[in-house]
Amino acid sequence: MNAFLLQYLPILVFLAVAVVLGALFIVGAWALAPKHPDPEKISAYECGFNAFEDARMKFDVRFYLVAILFIIFDLEVAFLFPWAVSLMKLPHATGLFAFWSMLGFLGVLTVGFIYEWKKGALEWE
Amino acid sequence: MDLQAIAFYTLAAIMLAAAGLVVTARNPVHSVLFLILAFFSGAGLFVLLGAEFLAMLLIVVYVGAVAVLFLFVVMMLDVDFVSLRSGFAQYMPVGLVVSGLLLVEMVMVSGAVASSGAAAKVKAAAVTGRSNIEEIGRVLYTDYVYFFQAAGLVLLVAMIGAIVLTLRHKPGVRRQNIADQTARTRKSGLSIVKVATGEGISE
Amino acid sequence: MSVGLPAYLAVAAALFTIGVFGIFVNRRNIIVVLMSIELILLAVNINLVSFSMFLHDVVGQIFAMFVLTVAAAEAAVGLAILVTFFRNRGDIAVDHANMMKG
Repeated sequence: MNAFLLQYLPILVFLAVAVVLGALFIVGAWALAPKHPDPEKISAYECGFNAFEDARMKFDVRFYLVAILFIIFDLEVAFLFPWAVSLMKLPHATGLFAFWSMLGFLGVLTVGFIYEWKKGALEWE
Repeated sequence: MDLQAIAFYTLAAIMLAAAGLVVTARNPVHSVLFLILAFFSGAGLFVLLGAEFLAMLLIVVYVGAVAVLFLFVVMMLDVDFVSLRSGFAQYMPVGLVVSGLLLVEMVMVSGAVASSGAAAKVKAAAVTGRSNIEEIGRVLYTDYVYFFQAAGLVLLVAMIGAIVLTLRHKPGVRRQNIADQTARTRKSGLSIVKVATGEGISE
Repeated sequence: MSVGLPAYLAVAAALFTIGVFGIFVNRRNIIVVLMSIELILLAVNINLVSFSMFLHDVVGQIFAMFVLTVAAAEAAVGLAILVTFFRNRGDIAVDHANMMKG
């Protein structure tokens, strides 16, 4: 076992405790709760009527567009992290090149951002 | 068997079981949730390998964004998913045969590669004292600048493509334009007319 | 490391196979096909990262990042096409998808 993975041991312990605790509550509720089901008790109930329709509602497409734009900018940020960590530790000329290459990348995505702004993809009608 | 090996086999087993349930679950919402579990275990495997940054990236990008996207689509489309499974049993034999052959081939190749070619090159890590993320940052923006810019273009194309494909403005929706409202002056908002008696006004 | 390279490669191969199997058996359900493609790309990423860590060459991880980028873009555009298809057709049975033949 190396020292690097020992840093992650607390997460493992945390995960194990979470799983055990969650399972304990579910099993406990299932084992201890009184259950006397009959057809009237478990049927769907909607203000005295039988249920008119499915309880699930369709999502609006606009949520989907927002999620896509979130993914794109999520990845943009993912590329920023190693840059932020290593930029100051590079030699000067290389560091300058890395700086401008990131600015080019951000510029390309800014074009996309302006496009979506102008198209009104961020508007919520 | 040490803790690391136990963690590896547990994570690998959870990942493969979740992946199997992704492709066989009846309800697509369950498929998406098992996909999340598979990616989470994959991130655990990356941590075991020592690739911390990619493990966190996997959680942030896949669990945080891609899986949510799938979940939105599954919940957005009002489809009878039972009828889409009609060919399941019919395609099962050929799928099993093809994927079984593929598995045998790949395990043989990877066994051969790992024992003869790559395993011979496995050497002790040069101790640099740099973290995983810094190692990536040292080469990503300079040595691989073209790939990096290409990734930016791929993201741009995906963004524009998604907007073009899914964005529909409802006709007849009146939006508030705050700039127009505040720029409104007395001159543009008010007009004084003289009305002749008994005639009324027209626009 | 106590677990060697062949173990990681075997896991990646098994995951890849499950992804291919998923594409075969869920031919009519395009959402699950897209999820299977994501599984295949995860298997590729495991291969890249395990070679990278065992050979101490960071390039594998760089390519894994690009694979991740392309996978996310592919999911975004693929699902966008699916949403548009659903809007035009009212279902997502892709074995009838011959509209693009014109």
